[in-house]
Amino acid sequence: MKVLFLLYLSFSNEFLSIKFQRMQVARFFTLLLVQVIGLYAYAFQDTSIKKAVSEKNIRFIPYPGFADAHSTWGSIGYNPATNNIYVGVTNHADNVGFYEYDPARDQMQLHGFIKDLGFLRPFQWQGKIHSKIVVGPKGEMYFSTDGGESREEYLMNHPHGYAGGFFMKWNPIEKRLTNLGMGMQYESIKDLEVDTATGLIYAVSYPQVHFLVYDPAKNQLHDAGRLGSSHVPRVLFTDRWGNCYYVDWRQRLVKYEKSTRKLVFAKQSLPAFPGTPGNSIVTGITAYAKDPTKNVIYLVTYGAKLVAFYPQENGIGRWEDLGGVFEMAKGQEWKPYVPNLNVGLNGKLYYLIGGHGNYVRKDKTVLVEFDPQERRHNVLYEFPIGVLTEATGSDIRDSEGNLYFAGRLRPNRTEYGSVPFLVKFNPQKEVK
Amino acid sequence: MKSQLLFLCFQIGLFVIPGRIDAQYTFFKPTGSFAIETSLENTDELRMPMYRNAMHSLAVSGDFILGGTMAEKGLTPLLFTISLSGRKLTTIQELEEVVPGQLSISTGFSPMGKGNLFYAGTMPQPGSMGGGHIIQVHVDGQGKIQVKDIGVPVAGEGIFAMTLNPQRNEVYGIAYPSGRFFTYQLKTGKSELFNETVPSQKDTATFHSFALKPDDYLCRALVVDNQGRVYGSKAINKLFRFDPVTKKITVLKDELPFVWGREVMGRIDAWVKMPDGTIYGSNAADGQLFRLNTAKQTVVNLGKPIMMPRLMCMAPGKNGMLYGVAGAAPGYAHLFSYHPEKGFRDLGNPEFKMVAPGIEQGIAWRGFQISSMAASPDGKYIVMGENEALSQLLVFPAEDLP
Repeated sequence: MKVLFLLYLSFSNEFLSIKFQRMQVARFFTLLLVQVIGLYAYAFQDTSIKKAVSEKNIRFIPYPGFADAHSTWGSIGYNPATNNIYVGVTNHADNVGFYEYDPARDQMQLHGFIKDLGFLRPFQWQGKIHSKIVVGPKGEMYFSTDGGESREEYLMNHPHGYAGGFFMKWNPIEKRLTNLGMGMQYESIKDLEVDTATGLIYAVSYPQVHFLVYDPAKNQLHDAGRLGSSHVPRVLFTDRWGNCYYVDWRQRLVKYEKSTRKLVFAKQSLPAFPGTPGNSIVTGITAYAKDPTKNVIYLVTYGAKLVAFYPQENGIGRWEDLGGVFEMAKGQEWKPYVPNLNVGLNGKLYYLIGGHGNYVRKDKTVLVEFDPQERRHNVLYEFPIGVLTEATGSDIRDSEGNLYFAGRLRPNRTEYGSVPFLVKFNPQKEVK
Repeated sequence: MKSQLLFLCFQIGLFVIPGRIDAQYTFFKPTGSFAIETSLENTDELRMPMYRNAMHSLAVSGDFILGGTMAEKGLTPLLFTISLSGRKLTTIQELEEVVPGQLSISTGFSPMGKGNLFYAGTMPQPGSMGGGHIIQVHVDGQGKIQVKDIGVPVAGEGIFAMTLNPQRNEVYGIAYPSGRFFTYQLKTGKSELFNETVPSQKDTATFHSFALKPDDYLCRALVVDNQGRVYGSKAINKLFRFDPVTKKITVLKDELPFVWGREVMGRIDAWVKMPDGTIYGSNAADGQLFRLNTAKQTVVNLGKPIMMPRLMCMAPGKNGMLYGVAGAAPGYAHLFSYHPEKGFRDLGNPEFKMVAPGIEQGIAWRGFQISSMAASPDGKYIVMGENEALSQLLVFPAEDLP
């Protein structure tokens, strides 16, 4: 299935119909060759992996109509009102496609590109959607845009500098995108959250790590100031009362407390393994998944710790250290990279380890099941990194218990030639 | 065998694809640099609380760095000391305990000679009827701070910029929001006001059309030359000189260096007086550095270290080197150096290692908004204060250049 999908991507007429520059053509065929050789080799591999789930539990779903689609970041979300999945796919330069996947009809639809849907001028280019795509009070979907790091910072304050990032709202009934304006001038918005009761938007900026609170009903933006160090933590999350959480540079939870409209700082840092480097500490949380039946929010940190967080309406709440994301040698426990997390209908956690050159098994991305009760890991599946290199996404589960990740493969380890696709996975049954 | 061969092809493929050169930039982090955590919420460590720690004034006295902060509206500012050798915050002093109703200590600290006695001016809370105060700050050998309220030089007005001539025991300042220049005799407590620096009605109309308020156009700093003359800026894009002997204000023929069409935003952002008496100034509007020739009363435009506006603070380095911070919100800071023979170097964002209890492994602290700077009296260190909701202090050794 995966081979077919990749061949589809490689040979699609739309892909070949694009008039690439000479270098792009050369790059394309080189990448194609590598993909074909790699996959052919993979098909002949004699792996001794005992698969706990079969390939029938996993599907890779392509994004149609975007020839130079490159990657997805945290840009995935679920709308319980429609039971659909939304994904922002970027060419990692200046074009972002907005997709909706309907599980009932097994249909992936490209609604259009942000620059057109959001009425952006060319000087308002957006490098990507880095934020989650989260549901609002009336079933609308919210996300924010990002300049794309290096390009943004090189050009900031320049006549051709970065214009953005923007808050955006998608109306799924009218299929209409509304541009809600910018956060801070020249700053990307790495992530956002929405209070589903009030519509209040929470966001964090890049690179200056400012925590923003925006009330679209009143068009009031409050900049609560800088909370982070040199590397911006990428993940915000909310609890059932609509309070929003982030971390400071000590990896302490920082809560925007809705009732007091103030920031509340945890006194203690979230757990970390001894020897976790400072750059992992300052980056905080990489993904979360909520299990509302137990009033628990599971967190995974950049230092590879799993944490069960029990929020409370006022004050910080408590947390429990669940251990590492993978069995590692002593001193290496902090190394696995897990920018995704889902919780199944069975209450178990599922995540993919790998990406950004960091793998727990040589050149393999692994799908792990973690039982929070037993605190036991189980490797369900191994993907060669030429098939699935990394995945993002927090808490994306449809009504059938299917879990989704925004996956991509990178034929080599640079940013060139990345291919994004949606990963659909069900730990308990075959996926359609 | 076949599969191994093919897989080898795949692996080779990984290497033959030309890799992108990593586009990430490097940061300025010289050997011997470090950051000191000075602000943190909800901690048992000695730290300044959120929204009250923006470091607008810095000086170094022996082993201790003295700081004065700006608070957010409704909160009160702090004074603090940091031990350079201990690399930690040693004292926090509430200004409110000595001078109530203040918002900031933003004028910088003017030393009374080479000792450990400093003077600064304050800005009152917005909307308050009280004026800004001159404060005297003493730092003892343990870094303890003693603050004395000297008085209000201009009733009902804040102190936006201030400096001191120790030889004359005389303080000079710019009152806020009027822009009046004032002198204050420390011995007698007597003030004298000068209206020549106040924007005219026409100037005010021009500022209005550019949507500029006193915070945007008033002179941010004053400097005293070796003859005791005081320099600052006034509307529009002008430099003035105050002669304390004749008590006259003169407008210099040379204006602040400007970008055409942006003269209306011209004002002094910072001054620095080098050990040899050379005076450098900066224009906030577009971040030009200039040298003031005090003998000829002329300005030499040295250009812009970076493309962004603002140049908020400077300090002398070694061997004629000058350090400064160019750029500010909505952009961010670039540390730069200037030497008369070598010209500018854009050193970029400083990123120094911060070590403290609980983060013993160290974290990288990147300076985005930096509003104050000072050199240690021995010339070894340059210290920089952040202007954030939770501001930290950055220190690096002055380079033995050029």
